[in-house]
Amino acid sequence: MKRFLWFTLPIVLTLVLWEIISRSGFVSPALFPPPSKVAVALWGMITAGTLFSDLRASLWRIVAGLFVGSAVGIFIGLLTGRMKSFANALSPIIQILRPLPPVAIIPLVIVWFGIDDGAKIFSIAFAVFFPVWINTHIGARQIPQAFLWGAKLLTASSMKIFREVIFPAALPFIIAGVRTGIAIAFIMVFVSELAGASSGLGYRISITHLAYRIDEMIAALIMLGALGAIADQLFVFGTRKLFPWIKFSSK
Amino acid sequence: MSHIAVKNLAVHYDGYCALKDIEFEAGKGEFVAIVGKSGSGKTTFLHALAHFIPFSGEIAVPKNVGMVFQHYAVFPWFTASENIGFGLGDKSGNERVQIVREHLKLAELEDKKDKYPAELSGGQVQRIAIARSLAHNPEVLLMDEPYGALDAYTRDKMQQWLLDVWATHKKTVVYVTHDIEEAVFLADRVLVLNHHKFTKEFMVPFARPRHEEVKFTPEFSRLRKEIFESINSFEG
Ligand SMILES: Nc1ncnc2c1ncn2[C@@H]1O[C@H](COP(=O)(O)OP(=O)(O)OP(=O)(O)O)[C@@H](O)[C@H]1O
Ligand SMILES: [Mg+2]
Repeated sequence: MKRFLWFTLPIVLTLVLWEIISRSGFVSPALFPPPSKVAVALWGMITAGTLFSDLRASLWRIVAGLFVGSAVGIFIGLLTGRMKSFANALSPIIQILRPLPPVAIIPLVIVWFGIDDGAKIFSIAFAVFFPVWINTHIGARQIPQAFLWGAKLLTASSMKIFREVIFPAALPFIIAGVRTGIAIAFIMVFVSELAGASSGLGYRISITHLAYRIDEMIAALIMLGALGAIADQLFVFGTRKLFPWIKFSSK
Repeated sequence: MSHIAVKNLAVHYDGYCALKDIEFEAGKGEFVAIVGKSGSGKTTFLHALAHFIPFSGEIAVPKNVGMVFQHYAVFPWFTASENIGFGLGDKSGNERVQIVREHLKLAELEDKKDKYPAELSGGQVQRIAIARSLAHNPEVLLMDEPYGALDAYTRDKMQQWLLDVWATHKKTVVYVTHDIEEAVFLADRVLVLNHHKFTKEFMVPFARPRHEEVKFTPEFSRLRKEIFESINSFEG
């Protein structure tokens, strides 16, 4: 109960303060609409069905891009982390691509692949790849030698060692990488939808801007923020359910 | 008949000489302890015996070797029973379950089988590590200060437990420790490693099965003192 209060109180206070300022006459209500108007706009977007279809479009792109980028990042990271030859072969390429701000590739992706879902998923996957790869790489390198030696005495299968020793030993780092990836996926979906799309929360924000519907814009922003927070919490919750031992690890 | 035979062994870590002129033998079922100061090369010796690291000279050991490490003995992502079952995949499901059950019992952890190492005490974790090695029925068991991080009381109990286990399994054991009392209590023979070489060997005359009381006899103290002096008087 006390926790619930601590959680809701700041939100309620912010909303009340915001409502008062918006209605005080010091600011333009069109530029700075009160939360009550934003709520009405949100309700309008829900009943018109646009909110649901926007959410669905953005979420699909995020999930698909996150999945592809993470899978490739984990796979490559384990290889470069554990095998010197892979690290030597791939590091130069990856190191050159890494300093690029990922949003900088969006124009090129549009020229190459257009503005459909596939292109957006590619951009997101590209951006997610780097933090996941780097974290996995570091995670795979820091594995105590005793784990690997011990495993070798107990099994002859290198597949088993990869799956049951190297992967879990690197997992706390992998999870940290994917979590960074989630935040980056939200940036990428938003920017790529701004740059050209016909649905999604980023698209909605760009057209409300053109239509001067600040209330709808703020409603869409709040949804984007809420979605990001929920995604992160779901991820943390999911990894704890899937890997219960993770809570004991220091990272 | 010697079960482990080492001739003219030397180990270098990028130029640094960690072991040299090492001659070593252990008979089948013998319990050999190695004592020495920190940095004398005890861990290095075990790692060479297990063929983990490059060395020069000859090492003859049986193929099936088990090892209990100084640190990071068990996998934190597996429960007690999963740790013990790791690597038993070539066995049939039934046999595997049977082996895990037996070794959980041996480790006295039947009621903790679904716990993760982080939820167990240091002594319990080391019993998992030892049970996991024994589950593979190794011919030789290499142990690197397995009780180094335990408090004295737990260590005493675990030493007695290990002697009981050893009495039933009769493995050849090479046991590294910096605790002379532990070495004398457990082993048939104690080797002193001084500055990268074995400098002295002591036979332990106490009858088995051994119990705590032997530690309080004058013979025990005398042997302990002799070993202590052979380590401390050594001028590298
Ligand atoms: N991987 C390594 N690379 C370089 N030097 C090493 C390495 N491992 C050990 N050494 C060195 O070799 C010597 C022997 O180390 P070792 O770990 O065998 O000692 P130890 O007798 O087991 O000590 P402790 O009782 O502290 O465990 C030490 O001087 C150590 O610094
Ligand atoms: Mg050591």
